[in-house]
Amino acid sequence: MPDTGSKAGVNPDGTIDRARAKRMLNPFDRYALQKAIEIKRNAGAEVTCVTMGPPPAVEVLIEAFEHGSDYGVLLTDKRLAASDTLATAYALHKVVHYLGNFDIILTGLQTTDGDTAQVGPQIAERLDLPQITYCEQLSISGRTLSLRRIVEGGNQELEVHLPVLITVANSATPLDYKRFADVAAVKELLRHPEEKDRRIKIVSLDTIGADPSRIGIVGSPTVVGKTWKIGEVGGSCIVFKGESIEREVDELIDRLRADGRSVEELINA
Amino acid sequence: MPNPNNVAVVAEQFHGSLQQITLELIGAARFLSEKLGTGVSCFLLGHEISKLAEGLIHHGADEVIVVDDPQLKEYATLTYRRAVISILEHLGTSPPIVLMGSTTIGRDLAPRIAAYLETGLTADCTEFDIGDYEHKGKADPSKTGTFKNILYAIRPSFGESLKARIIGPWKNPQMATARIGVMQALPLDALRKGAVQRVSVNFNQEDLRVKVLKTVRDISVSVNLTGAKVIVSGGYGLGGPDGFEVVKDLASVFKHSVVGASRRAVDSGWMGDSHQVGQTGKTVRPDIYIALGISGAIQHRVGMANSKLIIAVNKDADAPIFKFAHYGIVGDLYQAAPLLKNALIKMAREKSLR
Repeated sequence: MPDTGSKAGVNPDGTIDRARAKRMLNPFDRYALQKAIEIKRNAGAEVTCVTMGPPPAVEVLIEAFEHGSDYGVLLTDKRLAASDTLATAYALHKVVHYLGNFDIILTGLQTTDGDTAQVGPQIAERLDLPQITYCEQLSISGRTLSLRRIVEGGNQELEVHLPVLITVANSATPLDYKRFADVAAVKELLRHPEEKDRRIKIVSLDTIGADPSRIGIVGSPTVVGKTWKIGEVGGSCIVFKGESIEREVDELIDRLRADGRSVEELINA
Repeated sequence: MPNPNNVAVVAEQFHGSLQQITLELIGAARFLSEKLGTGVSCFLLGHEISKLAEGLIHHGADEVIVVDDPQLKEYATLTYRRAVISILEHLGTSPPIVLMGSTTIGRDLAPRIAAYLETGLTADCTEFDIGDYEHKGKADPSKTGTFKNILYAIRPSFGESLKARIIGPWKNPQMATARIGVMQALPLDALRKGAVQRVSVNFNQEDLRVKVLKTVRDISVSVNLTGAKVIVSGGYGLGGPDGFEVVKDLASVFKHSVVGASRRAVDSGWMGDSHQVGQTGKTVRPDIYIALGISGAIQHRVGMANSKLIIAVNKDADAPIFKFAHYGIVGDLYQAAPLLKNALIKMAREKSLR
């Protein structure tokens, strides 16, 4: 995904100009990656990170290596531009088909740009997998997973057999995956082209056998009809400053008394 | 027979009580259905929940389609997915619009239904409307045309700096989820009448792959933030977790008050994420919102800017919150909060003596 902290452009059609935006690992996905590394350490596993984007998005896979991922796959194809969540999930599920065996697919809860939380469940639907969203804890025993997912004001305890798709909540555990990072080793490894090729696969829609009519703007059932900046409101704020704090509070209270909002009724007196 | 042209709402209930988001969605659906000249249908799923149908009608639904089944006692993705799909199949024709809540249920279920139906879904909407659309794009000739009376699903986008109108007129249902606390519920009308229909569902083994062992839910935690009359929130300017003692202390002055927090305060582990207001937290509109040490970045602002009275305390006179708050105090919050607390109590006492 593009770095939302950087000044990213918006295309004339209202989609995000991902080619111009700086790339970074989606912050929500770091929790998914951490969970994957945790499973690898506790239960034994190989971790493959899959991403979709323009060619420079390969940086994200290298970032993931530094945190303990074993393999990386980048799906890159100009025809993917302007894919909505349904089309994105279609493309990513084709990558999973192409890769073959897996036990667990982990995704972040959502991205920080689109923020929809839809792609994970939509991959699960297309792969006919059970899904656990908002997962904050999991343990594995054989082929059985015990999980806890967040719900409003509490949680659910669940049990499911592999294979499964899990979206990881960011309240789960504080991020500490960098503890396992080995930046120097990754740099050394990537100096050898044959090793880099073995670890990173770059695939197109043709490689994975995806139907081009189901991705991009053609395969997306939604489009951005219009965008507009969230208007700068205000200018009407009455600010008390440059005096003693006691005086400022008094002036505020005078205002509250005068403006007839009946603030008093909400106070325990 | 139920009317498949109605705007549909997938209702949420937890252990037999209707969730506020559902009443809000019915309010939004009524607004849309009046523009379309149709009605509102609610899908009600659960076990021994048929009695809730009346409440949905009293809040604005014209029809309620009920699936009452022991398999639906606890929410699980695949069983609820099967139930919604069965209702849609029962209707025969797809409703024009299906709305769900941006909750841990709606955000879990809606994308699966949309993918199953190969239809569009817009997440976390803050506004809905009906309007026309002309598609001129050349990249996709199959989409070109003029479309009347389609759903405008409006949501913040790209770090909340933009608003986007998302449309998907090519296929029904047009699906969307709405944020909690944004849409307006209609007042209860106990005389309202409507139709109730039951639909039965055949679950298969595949639908039962996830076993729900237990659901623990403290409703007060979740309802409080969106339902609170007064929210006192703390931000990164508190400087540390102990700062929330000052926030709580000020909140204690008010009736029906709750403590809120900015994303940075939650990310720093100073407060639990159920208290978070803003982009990844809750959207709130209390009567009074007091922000202590919150700069007012856009991702916080969209979650609370509709509060009726916003009072901000921040030592940075240039903080963006002073652009949209109603009143601001520039200064040290640790000095201001206790003074404000005492002054508010005094103010209320004087009023009650008069």
